[in-house]
Amino acid sequence: MKDFIHFNAYSIDEAVALLSRYGGNAEIIAGGTDLLGKMKDRILPSYPEALINIKTIPGLDQIEEKEGMISIGALVTLSCVAEHPVIQKTCTALAQAASRTASPHLRNMGTLAGNICQDIRCWYYRAPQNRFSCLRKGGGRCYAIKGDNRYHSIFGGSVKGGCFAVHPSDTAPALIALNARIITSKQSISADTFFNVGVTHTTVLANDEIITAIQIPAPAPDTRSTFQKFALRKSIDFPIVNCAVAVTEKNGSIAHARLCLNAVSVVPRRAVKTEEVLTGNKIDETVAEEAAMAAVADAKPMEGNAYMIPVTRAIVKRTILACRENHGG
Amino acid sequence: MDHLSEKEKQTMRDLQDSLTADPFPLKTYTHIGKRGPRRLDGLPKASGKADYTMDVQLPGMLHMRFIDSPYPHAKIISMDTREAEQLPGVRYMLRFDNPELPERASMGKVSGLYGDPPPLSGIAHFEGEPMGAAVAAESEEIAEKALELIRIEWEPRPFNLDIIKAMEKDAPLSYPEMYPDSNYWNNGLFDVLTQGDVKKGFAKSEKVIEFEFVRRGHTWIGPERPCGVFQWKGDCPEVWVKQQRPHLVKKNLSTWYGGVPMNKIQLHCLYQGASFGGWVQVPWNMGPLYCAGFVAKKTGRPVKYVFTRREDFYGGSMDGGTYRFKVGFNKDGTILAVEGTSICENQIWPVFNPMNHLKESTRIPHLSGKCVSIWVNKGPTVPTRCEQLPTTLSLTAIFSRVAAECGLDPIEVALRNDGEEGHDMAHLNKKKKKLGFAVIDSLKECVDKGKAAMDWDKKWHPPGTQKLPNGRMHGLGFTWTNEWDDSLGSSEMAIRIERNDGTASILAMGCDNGVDAENTYCRIAADELGFRLEDVHYNPQVDTGFFRMSPDSSTNMSINGWAVRHAARILKKQILEAAVGPTAKTQRGSFRPAFPDCKPEDLDIIESVIIKKSDPADRIKVADFVREAGQSGPLTSTESGGFRWAFTEPLFAYSYHVQVGSYNPVNPRPHMTRQAHFLEIEVDTETGEIHIIKVVNVNDVGKAINPMSCEGQQYGGSIMGLSRGKFEEMIYDPATGVLLNGNLLDYKIATTLDVDAPIDTILVESGMGYGPYGSVGIGEDVGTVMTGLIGPAVHNAIGVWINDHPITPDKILKALGK
Amino acid sequence: MTENTKNDFRCPYCRRLFDSLSAMKNHMLENHRDGDLPKPEGQIRLTINRKKYIQDVKPGWTLYYLIHDQLGFTGSKQFCDRGACGSCTVIMDGKAVLSCMILAIECDGKTIETIEGIAEAEHPLIPSYVKHHAMQCGYCTPGFVTTSKALLDRNPEPTEPEIRTALSGNLCRCGTYPQHVTAVQETAITLKSQTRQRG
Ligand SMILES: Cc1cc2nc3c(=O)[nH]c(=O)nc-3n(C[C@@H](O)[C@@H](O)[C@H](O)COP(=O)(O)OP(=O)(O)OC[C@H]3O[C@@H](n4cnc5c(N)ncnc54)[C@H](O)[C@@H]3O)c2cc1C
Ligand code: SF4
Ligand code: FES
Ligand code: FES
Repeated sequence: MKDFIHFNAYSIDEAVALLSRYGGNAEIIAGGTDLLGKMKDRILPSYPEALINIKTIPGLDQIEEKEGMISIGALVTLSCVAEHPVIQKTCTALAQAASRTASPHLRNMGTLAGNICQDIRCWYYRAPQNRFSCLRKGGGRCYAIKGDNRYHSIFGGSVKGGCFAVHPSDTAPALIALNARIITSKQSISADTFFNVGVTHTTVLANDEIITAIQIPAPAPDTRSTFQKFALRKSIDFPIVNCAVAVTEKNGSIAHARLCLNAVSVVPRRAVKTEEVLTGNKIDETVAEEAAMAAVADAKPMEGNAYMIPVTRAIVKRTILACRENHGG
Repeated sequence: MDHLSEKEKQTMRDLQDSLTADPFPLKTYTHIGKRGPRRLDGLPKASGKADYTMDVQLPGMLHMRFIDSPYPHAKIISMDTREAEQLPGVRYMLRFDNPELPERASMGKVSGLYGDPPPLSGIAHFEGEPMGAAVAAESEEIAEKALELIRIEWEPRPFNLDIIKAMEKDAPLSYPEMYPDSNYWNNGLFDVLTQGDVKKGFAKSEKVIEFEFVRRGHTWIGPERPCGVFQWKGDCPEVWVKQQRPHLVKKNLSTWYGGVPMNKIQLHCLYQGASFGGWVQVPWNMGPLYCAGFVAKKTGRPVKYVFTRREDFYGGSMDGGTYRFKVGFNKDGTILAVEGTSICENQIWPVFNPMNHLKESTRIPHLSGKCVSIWVNKGPTVPTRCEQLPTTLSLTAIFSRVAAECGLDPIEVALRNDGEEGHDMAHLNKKKKKLGFAVIDSLKECVDKGKAAMDWDKKWHPPGTQKLPNGRMHGLGFTWTNEWDDSLGSSEMAIRIERNDGTASILAMGCDNGVDAENTYCRIAADELGFRLEDVHYNPQVDTGFFRMSPDSSTNMSINGWAVRHAARILKKQILEAAVGPTAKTQRGSFRPAFPDCKPEDLDIIESVIIKKSDPADRIKVADFVREAGQSGPLTSTESGGFRWAFTEPLFAYSYHVQVGSYNPVNPRPHMTRQAHFLEIEVDTETGEIHIIKVVNVNDVGKAINPMSCEGQQYGGSIMGLSRGKFEEMIYDPATGVLLNGNLLDYKIATTLDVDAPIDTILVESGMGYGPYGSVGIGEDVGTVMTGLIGPAVHNAIGVWINDHPITPDKILKALGK
Repeated sequence: MTENTKNDFRCPYCRRLFDSLSAMKNHMLENHRDGDLPKPEGQIRLTINRKKYIQDVKPGWTLYYLIHDQLGFTGSKQFCDRGACGSCTVIMDGKAVLSCMILAIECDGKTIETIEGIAEAEHPLIPSYVKHHAMQCGYCTPGFVTTSKALLDRNPEPTEPEIRTALSGNLCRCGTYPQHVTAVQETAITLKSQTRQRG
C-alpha cells in the first residue's frame, strides 16, 4: 500500500477534528475490510492522506437495550450482531442479514456501521489503478451501460442518470425494514433517508461526520422480520439480490409492513407497493406472489441483468413467506 | 531375489515394459495399496512449516515488479523512466529496450508454437500482460510507487476478444508479430482426425442431430502466485522458483546470459502452491525469472518477483470456445457417426481434437473432428488440469444428447458404444489378452458400482419430469470415458542406503504439488526393498541432479513409478549380494560377513531385516549390516591410532524410464480402463440455482498404489470440476478488453458450502494400466471430466439444454423462459 | 495543514488531543504519573503465540506483512491478498481474522495466535489433518487449521454444517473440503477425551 498518515482517535471529537482538518482527504477506518481493499487496488484517482482509526475510541463496541431501543455501537462487528440473542429474537432480519454477509472471518472484522458506509462494487469502478475513470470518479461516462452489466441496477441509474452501480450492503435492507436510525456525530437520521448516491458518496454523511451508533426501535408486539439473500456462492459473495421484511400483525392480518430490497438498485429500495399489497392481508402463497410482482413492477433491466427480475421476485416472495408465524422468523 | 528373473533383468535393461501389462508385479504388497496416515508432506503442511517460494527471503533481497499493460493490444512508443529511477530505494530499472536484453531467449517453451517471446516485451497482446519494464527496489511498496512514475506513450492497436469475429476476413490481427497473416493458429492448419466415413455413417443413421455450445474460458488460480528468487554466487546462479518443472527451468536457464553450465545452477523448487499445469507451460513463464537473474547480476543483490493475484490471471485453460457437432445414431442408442469442430481461443497446443476420446474409447465407426485455434487478445491458454478438457466436454455432450434423443438411460448408451477405435469390446478384449492383461469389462464394473452408490435405477427419470416437494426440479447426470495417463516423459531416480543407520533415501529432484506422490514412491521402494515404510524417505526439493517427471506432462506414476521400482530392485540385489560377500570388499573397510555361506537368492529382506529364507531366525538388520561409518565420519584417517573405521562401498542404485506410450496420436496404446461419474442435483426454477445433492466418482485406476491420494484426486477433482461447470469464467469488458474479474472475489471458485454434498469415491482395480503393478493415472481425470457433467444433469432436471457454460442462474432462467 | 488551531497538543502517552499545552499537562499529570514511558510513534506491543513483541511498524504494513515478512511466521499464506480466501487467517483475541486486511499499526495490545503457535502447542488438529489428508498442495492448509482451531475453542462439538460454515471463508483450489469436516470432527473427539482424562 502507498504511504499515508495513521491516527488512532481516542474520542469521537478527536476523530471529527482530524476529519475536518483533512477536509475530505482522510478516511475513517473501522474494520478496514472495505477500505483496505480499495487502497490496495488504488481504484480511486486520489488516495487518502490519512486514516483515522476509530477502534481506539472506547465504548463504541457495545450493544445496549434501553428505553425501547436497541443501540448498536459503531464498532460492533457483524458477527456480534449475528450472534446477539436479543437481536436474533426481536430484529431477526438484521441478525440473519449479518450472518449472511461476506464470510465468517470478514464478519469478525467488519462493523455494522462500516457495512452501511461501504463503497460500491461495480467492477469498472473497482478495476485496479483507476483503470476506468467513470462518472463515479468524476469522469464523463459510465462503462457499464454498454459493457458487462450482469450485476448492475434493474431500477435505473443515479448520478447524472448514468451510474448503475448497485448498493452492495446486506445489512442495509434489514435496517430499513426495521426502521432503524443512524446516529452520527452531528445528527440522527432514519435509515430510510441515509443512503444517497453522488459522485464520491453513497450516504448523506458529510466529510467530517461519523456514525456513532445504529438504533433500532423495539418492534411492536407481533412483529416478525426476516431476511434472504441470493448470491452466486453461498459464502464470501456479495448479494445479487437481497430482501428484508418486517410485518406486524393484528387480529390475524398484517397491520403494518416494511420491505426493503438491495443490490438491485443504486440505493436500498423500499418496496412501497409491495408493502401496500401486504397490508390488511394474511401471508399466504398468493399474497406473497402478488407482493413480489409488485416489487419488480417498475424494473427496467439492462442488457445483461434481466435475470435479476425473476430472482428478485422469488427472493421477495420467500422472504415474505418466511415471515409467516410458524416459520419461527 | 526369486522375483527377479533373467527376463525381468532384460526388461529392466531396455526399460520398454510399459507397452504391455506389468510382467513382474509383486506377489504380495505390504505398503502398496494400503491406506495410512503417512504423508511425507503432512506435518510440514498442516503446521505451517512447509516453505513455498513466496516465503523465501534473503538478506539484501530486492523486490521486482512489472508494468501490466492497460490495453489488450498495444505497443510502447516511448517510455520515460527517469522520474521512477530517481525515486529513493529504486535499484534497477530494466526496460524492454535495454540493449543487453536478448530479443528472444528460451522462455520455457514447450512446443515453440508461440515462438520464443523476448523476456520483457515492448508490445502487449493482452490486457494485464506483465511487460515494458521491471523495477527492482528495496521494497515492493517502492517498486510499486516507481511503476506509477513511469510515463508511457502507447500505441493502442485494434484487438479481438471474440473468436468468431476474429475468424472474419477483415478482423484485426491479434498477434501480428507471431501470426502476420491471419488469426488462425499456424495460419489455418488444424488438427484433423478422421476415422471411417462420416457421410456414410450419417446416411445409415436412423436419426441425425446437430448442436452447438459455447464454453467460456476459465483459468487455473494457483493458490501460490507465480514467483521466484534469483541470486548469483560468483558465476553460479542460485534460484528458487514456483515451477512445476524444475528440469525445464534448469535446461532453459543454462542457455541464458551467454550460457550457464548446468553443474553451476543450484535450483530449489520448494513446495508448490499448485498450478494444475497452468502457469508452467506458458512461454512467458520464465520471462520474469530471466529478468530477475539479469537484475541480480547488475545489482549484485538477490532479486525476488511475485506476481500480483491479477497478474496470475494472464492465461487460461484450453476449453474456451465454440463447439459444433453433428451426430448420427440409431434409436437403440448406437452411435454411427460424429462430426465435430472445436474452435477455441489461444490454444497453445491445438492438437487435442474434440473427437479424441470418441476414437480412443468407443466403437463409433465414423468420426471426423477438427480443432481450430484462433488468436484473440487474451492470455495464452494451456492444459489446465488437462488438455483433454475440450474432448471430454465433447464426449459428455454428445453422449447425453443421444441418450436424451432416444429416451434412454445414458448409462445404457455408454455401455452400448464402449469400444476402441471404432471397434467393439470383443476387439478390445483381444488386445487386452494379447498384451497380457486380464480381460475385465472395466466400464461395466465402474457403472455397476456407481449405480449402486447413487441408487441410480431408483432415481433415474426422463428429463424435466421430476418435481420435488421442495419445489425444485431433480436432475441426474452421468458421464464416462477412459481413464488416462501418459508416459510422454522420462524419469531418472536413485536410491541410496544411508551408511550409519541403513535407511533409504530416494534421490531425484521433482516438485511437490500436493498429490502425495513422494509417499507413493516410498511405498513402492519400501515394498520392493523389503523395508519398513518409515525407513524410506524422499525430499524432492533437493537438486540431486536426477530429474524425475514432477508430476507434469501428465506423467507421474506411469513413469516415475517404474523408475523408482527399477532402482529399488537393483538396490535390493546389491544389498543381498553384499550380504553374501566375504569381508573386505573394498580396500579400506568391509561389510560384515553376514551370510557368507549363502547365495543372494537364499536371502530376503523383510521389514528392513535381511533374513535367510530357510531359517528366518538367521537375520541381521540392514542397519546393523551397513553399520556405523565411524563417529567422526568416514573420512577419518585410517592411520590414526592404528585404528580402522569401517568404510564400506556405497549402496546406491539409480534407474530410469524412458518415454514410451502416449495418448498423443504419436504412439497410442489402447485404453482399457474406464471411469464413470454420477451427479445428482436440484434446480431451483425460480432463482436458477443449482444445488449439488450427491456425487459419485468411480475410477478404474488399475491398481491403487496410494488409495488415499487417489481419493484426493476424486473429491478434489469433483469440486474443481463442478466449480468450473457452475461458476468459472473470465469476463472481459467488450469495449476495452479489460479483464473485469481478475480477483478471487469476482472470479468464483467454489467454497465448502457450494459443494457440500456427499462425494462417494470408488476405486476399481482391474490391473489394466500400463503403469507399475497395472496402475493408471487419476490426477487429471476427475477434475477434467466433471467439468462438463453439470450440463446433462441440468438438462435432466429442467428438460432444456443450456448451450453456454458455465451454467449460471441467469442461463437457467433464460432457458426456462423467465 | 490548514490553520486550524484547535486540538494541537497531543498527549504522548495516549495520543489524546488538547486545546492548550496546560490542558495537556494537567491531563498527563493526572493520568500518566506512573506507568511506562510513552510509546514512540508507530510502535506497537503485542503478544504472538504467547510471547511479547515490541515492533516498529509503518502505517501501510498489514498484519500479514508484519508476521510473515518481518517476523518470519511464514505459515500464514497469501492466496488472494484481498480478504477473499482465508489463507492468511490468524486468531486475534480469540477470533479468526484475515491478516491481509488488518493494519499492523492497529494491533497494539492484541493477542495473536498463528499456525506456528497452534503447532507448538501440539494441538490435535494437526495430526488429524495429516491423518485425513486434509491437504493437497498445502498452501491453504494453515488457514484452514487456524480457522478450525478458533472454531473448536468456541464450539467444542461442532456439527458438519457448523464446520462448513466456519470454514466457508477459506478457499481451497485443490478441493480438499470434505476432509476438513472429518479432521475437525475427529479432533473434537480427541479434545474431549483429553479434557476428560485431565478432569
Ligand atoms: C471478500 C469480501 C466479501 C464481502 N462480501 C460482502 C457481502 O456479502 N455483503 C456485504 O454487505 N458486504 C460484503 N463485504 C464488504 C465488507 O467490507 C463489509 O461488509 C464490512 O461490513 C465493512 O465494514 P468495515 O468495518 O470493515 O468497514 P471499513 O472498511 O472500515 O469502512 C468502510 C467505509 O465506511 C467508512 N466508515 C466505517 N465506519 C464508519 C463510521 N463509524 N462512521 C463513518 N464512516 C465509517 C469508512 O471510512 C470506509 O469508507 C465484503 C468484503 C470483502 C473484502
Ligand atoms: S455503473 Fe457507476 S461505477 Fe460503474 S462504471 Fe458506470 S458510472 Fe462507474
Ligand atoms: S490472503 Fe488474506 S484473505 Fe486471502
Ligand atoms: S490444498 Fe491446495 S489450495 Fe488447498
